[in-house]
Amino acid sequence: MAAPEHRPSSREVLFMMTCLCDAFYADVAKAAVQVLEHAGCQVSVPPDQTCCGQPPFNGGDFEVSRKVARHTAAVFAGERPIIVPSGSCAAMHFHGNALQFEAQPDREGVDSLGKRTWEIFDFLVHGLGLMSWPGVLPPRRIAIHHSCHTRGTHTGGAIRTLLGSIEGVELIEFGQDEQCCGFGGTFSVSFPHISAGMGTLKLDHILDAKPDLLVSGDMSCLMHLNGLATKQGREIPHRHAVEILAESLDRA
Amino acid sequence: MASPLQPIDDYARTLAPETRAAVIKSAAFTSGQRIEVLRRDYEDPDALRKLARKIKQHTIDRLDHYLEQAESRLKAAGAQVHFATDGPSACRQVLKILQEHGVTRLVKSKSMATEEIHLNPFLEKHGIESIETDLGEFIVQIDDDHPSHIVRPIIHKNRRQVAESLERHGLGAYDDDPKTITRRARVHLREKYMQSGAGITGGNFVSAESGRMVLVTNEGNARFSMAPNKVHIAVIGIEKLVPRDRDLAVFLSLLARSATAQQITVYTQFINGPRSANQPSGPEHMHVVFLDNGRSQVLGGECREILRCIRCGACQNVCPVYRQASGHAYRAVYGGPIGAVLSPLIGDSISFSNYGDLPRASSLCGACREVCPVDIPIPDLLLKLRHGAKKAKLPSPGSPPMGPFADLATSPKLWRTSMTASRAMNYLPLQFAPVKPLRDWLDQRTLPKWRGGEFRRWLKQRPSPVEDQKKHA
Amino acid sequence: MPDSDRDSIFGRIRESLATASQQAPYPEYEDEVATAKRRFRDGDTLWETFATNFSAVNGRPMTELAEVIDFLKSEGATVGYCDPTLEESIGRVCQENAFEIHCHFERERFDDYQFGITRASAAIAETGTLVLTDSDTSDRLGALTPWIHIAVLPESRLVSSVAQAIAGFGRESNIIWATGPSKTADVEGILIEGVHGPGEQICLKTAGLQ
Repeated sequence: MAAPEHRPSSREVLFMMTCLCDAFYADVAKAAVQVLEHAGCQVSVPPDQTCCGQPPFNGGDFEVSRKVARHTAAVFAGERPIIVPSGSCAAMHFHGNALQFEAQPDREGVDSLGKRTWEIFDFLVHGLGLMSWPGVLPPRRIAIHHSCHTRGTHTGGAIRTLLGSIEGVELIEFGQDEQCCGFGGTFSVSFPHISAGMGTLKLDHILDAKPDLLVSGDMSCLMHLNGLATKQGREIPHRHAVEILAESLDRA
Repeated sequence: MASPLQPIDDYARTLAPETRAAVIKSAAFTSGQRIEVLRRDYEDPDALRKLARKIKQHTIDRLDHYLEQAESRLKAAGAQVHFATDGPSACRQVLKILQEHGVTRLVKSKSMATEEIHLNPFLEKHGIESIETDLGEFIVQIDDDHPSHIVRPIIHKNRRQVAESLERHGLGAYDDDPKTITRRARVHLREKYMQSGAGITGGNFVSAESGRMVLVTNEGNARFSMAPNKVHIAVIGIEKLVPRDRDLAVFLSLLARSATAQQITVYTQFINGPRSANQPSGPEHMHVVFLDNGRSQVLGGECREILRCIRCGACQNVCPVYRQASGHAYRAVYGGPIGAVLSPLIGDSISFSNYGDLPRASSLCGACREVCPVDIPIPDLLLKLRHGAKKAKLPSPGSPPMGPFADLATSPKLWRTSMTASRAMNYLPLQFAPVKPLRDWLDQRTLPKWRGGEFRRWLKQRPSPVEDQKKHA
Repeated sequence: MPDSDRDSIFGRIRESLATASQQAPYPEYEDEVATAKRRFRDGDTLWETFATNFSAVNGRPMTELAEVIDFLKSEGATVGYCDPTLEESIGRVCQENAFEIHCHFERERFDDYQFGITRASAAIAETGTLVLTDSDTSDRLGALTPWIHIAVLPESRLVSSVAQAIAGFGRESNIIWATGPSKTADVEGILIEGVHGPGEQICLKTAGLQ
């Protein structure tokens, strides 16, 4: 699912925190704002934002998910780029909405949402043209899990570019890295056993590579993987990629 | 009482660990080899599948034209062409052909179309012995089992299970060396080929331009099903067409690499008629049965892109759900991502209610789309089918109703309040929740600590250039 | 009923297509678009390319009849089938080397032939593929049932790519491409050769035109 071309890349941006950061991961949203500001952005955070609508959408409940999408489109109306610290929510904006509004009379509003949405790393590298990130971190072997919704987008490469440019960071590979972590939102609730099997296999591969830290551009995958790992007694330090950028700034 | 779990998850839960291990190992291995061979051979493998997509989409958009063309070219080359709207009709027509030729025993080369119409049990009921000759299909047949993969019918069995099957069937004492297994099947089946009256095959492609049908096998069983026999019957889905012979170069290159990571399948046959006059061996009669079985309806629906499928099985190999659950979990002839789309759509009118749950068995990870040689947007089609199932009010265990969520997500004030209030969740014993899927979820996972609203408070407190917050507040 | 099946299928197809909003055009593309150019080494002749790719699938490329004879002896073969048109050139030499050669394939004796010698109509360098046709194959069973198949290929019949081989189909109605020995990976993904077709596939290159 390719991200749209020709998205606006002005430094006046709207920030979408995602429901997951709203509920669980405040530090990720804070880091994202700090990183964007460091990159010279003026960040606005519309307070009426809620969710991209993915849970009902993935359940095939388009009538319900369209309501949420319409709300989001209204909250983020305008011309400014919309920056999201999640490849998954970004894909909902430019891919999911196109699908569920295919034959809807009001598809224009949500189309505008998709045409302005950037996953944050994609924006930093391909919107703002950053090719490296300042700062030094203590030596660390980092495994990057690329979330499934970033397949076919430039996010994966962008995360590697920026993290790889920080002194002290060593990016390491692990087996079957194209495989899903098993979360899939409501999928993990409807199919708890298959989902756990997928996640366990993923953890096996990641832990085999002996990373100091597991990093991703999507907190949902990390939440799932760590939830499993903790239950299995093999917790793994994990952070959103944008937190690494923010940490590096603190130490710059 | 209906199970509180999705049928596929329930199946996976009780799947024998050794079966799961066999499926994961083979599927992962083939996935890895596939990408390796594509990258080794082509600078831009993606461009090739985008082209294949265009050719195939064009074909199904003009299916009436190409089907008619293929029919007339096949007839001109001396083949007889039949059409079957559904499984029962196809079975009856095949039986009639066999009876006309006085055939009581036949050999069969692997064909998903004949699996789809359950041809073997039908023929058996009418006194005709039909012997599967593909090694995997042969094992499946003597075990009274079903294939669990499009390309690798016994991906769910390990060598010990296969060796036991042969032993039970009287093909020698237990020996689980794959070489011995293969030799024994070779010896056993050679006799059968030579003592049959007909060979039945499927067909991988049909070129409308020449009527040439293409058959690929690695084992050579399609060749052997034909060479000693007087009658050849091919059962082929109506969507298997390509416009021209030249297109076959594109599809054969992609099919072999996608299915088995080969440059080309060992045996590729191009046939548009009975044997030549000078040739002493081979069918004198060639019959092609074009099978609809719901395809023409799919063509008019929102999932028509699935008709591009060339049955390579790459989506099954790469699918993490398929790997965990195995093909049989999907209950239908086709398993994995392709099956989750196809099974509810083809066959008779009750397929949708029978298999309406299959499209849910996906995390929508999109790996299937990434490997598909004809670029079918499988996750999109799964979503459309979920939407269809929702509208048809099919039951969906383990899927919470989303109406209340939408109410919350469209009422910002309520949303913000509940974000903060839900911190109480940190103190609830959720593992005792009266919802089985949630209990099962928490059985194997922990939830992170609820910190709802914290980011919003941080924004308000910080003396920073973040605007809007104040403006809207 | 068959005719009504035909009518109803075409009826439904047309009905369905009428609902489609657009029709994808047939894309323009070069014939050689799917040719794996990386399977050709600079400077190699077509035969050398073929031999490399044929060997990669465990086929045995040979240029001398003596090589074939030696191989048959090493395999312990004694009885074989030979295309009658190759009797003078190849069958005789086999007989001189104490092989029992039959130029008529007897079905009842199909299990007795340990090798079969027939003609190849062409070969594809890109994939290491032999092209067998009804016109040039003296008996399909002779090329199929023996453990060892020897395809005799005039060098001039080599083509470079799959696309070229398809372009040269002509009016031939039964074409078989054979790329190495018969194989399976059905049991645990382990590669085993010689399932139903030949377990050994030899290509003997000859200079002569046929």
